[in-house]
Amino acid sequence: MAAALASRLTKGRSLLGGLTNAFSGLMSSSSSGSILSQQQQRTFIQMGTKLKVVDNSGGKEVMCIQSLRGKKGARLGDIVIGSVKEAVPKSDVKKGKDAIQKGKVKKGQVVYGVVVRAAMQKGRVDGSQVRFDDNAIVVLGIKEKTKVDENGKKKKQEYKGSFYQPLGTRVFGPVPHEMRVKKQLKILSLAQHLV
Amino acid sequence: MATSSHLLPQALHMIPRIPNLSSKSLGVSWFLPRASSVNSRISVSRVSLNHPGAIESRKRRVIIAKAEESNEGETEADLEDVAETVEDTGVEEAKTPWKPRTKLGDVMGILNKKAIEVSESVRPVPEIRTGDIVEIKLEVPENRRRLSIYKGIVMSRQNAGIHTTIRIRRIIAGIGVEIVFPIYSPNIKEIKVVSHRKVRRARLYYLRDKLPRLSTFK
Repeated sequence: MAAALASRLTKGRSLLGGLTNAFSGLMSSSSSGSILSQQQQRTFIQMGTKLKVVDNSGGKEVMCIQSLRGKKGARLGDIVIGSVKEAVPKSDVKKGKDAIQKGKVKKGQVVYGVVVRAAMQKGRVDGSQVRFDDNAIVVLGIKEKTKVDENGKKKKQEYKGSFYQPLGTRVFGPVPHEMRVKKQLKILSLAQHLV
Repeated sequence: MATSSHLLPQALHMIPRIPNLSSKSLGVSWFLPRASSVNSRISVSRVSLNHPGAIESRKRRVIIAKAEESNEGETEADLEDVAETVEDTGVEEAKTPWKPRTKLGDVMGILNKKAIEVSESVRPVPEIRTGDIVEIKLEVPENRRRLSIYKGIVMSRQNAGIHTTIRIRRIIAGIGVEIVFPIYSPNIKEIKVVSHRKVRRARLYYLRDKLPRLSTFK
């Protein structure tokens, strides 16, 4: 709600609402001429964007520190590197449905993630567009500090195949079809609902 | 007035060319008093570009344009009108080139209408307005086994010919999702209006800030 209020302020609308006198009424009527410019323009996911984590890898909120694709930032389906700002508190391993230890991802770790929900609209080939109400990622892997090999060279991190696979075993919330194009088939199969 | 007077001899030539110039046969009188010849010139030039052909339409439009002035004697009016049309066409052809019958500005409109007709013959589109709760059955090329169903409230309708789109909003699995559909798309297999909610706006963007309850549809 605060964000919505802030957006209204930046767009230059009068906050007064019902308390407007004639003058500010005139002002607001002139400014509402171009209604399109007043709509909130959602943009890319860039450095500093807070993203929700929607799998059970242990993280709760991640701040993007790098988008691996695009100069302006990441969109729906792109991979970002983020720093975990908030995580589920660490607890002991229990035998159960969730095979991995709760809290595999800890606060302060640098993780790779794929954007599964973006507030910025993404166009599809059939002319439709999709947008969600929030920004969310699924954690793909933890970025380790580059280790130094015996020869003194830096050892490169290996990943299975050319695409990263999700770390968690469950995904919450709706997932768009764009994941199929991005070869994140595991996420698609784990999803609750396909949009 | 000097201009019209020197065109009169030309007008005299013109009279046999224009057959039913006198409006007695029509039973309608059209008036072009000298005083307001400036106005009449403008209105007649606006009328028709198909000068020799569409005398009827010109007459009709002249009648519509101004019917207030007093009758000054029909022959006089005839000559003056002819003079002015001659002058107008002369003026027109000097200023603007001869345009074809389908004006350039209409082409996109005509193409859009044709495309919409084609789409409607395959699948008729119901009347959709903002505030309708609709259900859309979409064929997704990736998921060809069955049709995806999208249900939600129509937040807005943007009219753009063949790319007329509607924006559907719904809360899916706890998260609000908005999808823009082009309603004449061949991928859409069915659009059905399930119910209607009374709204007092054309665009319901306020729903984004409201409780999720208002955007939930079973």
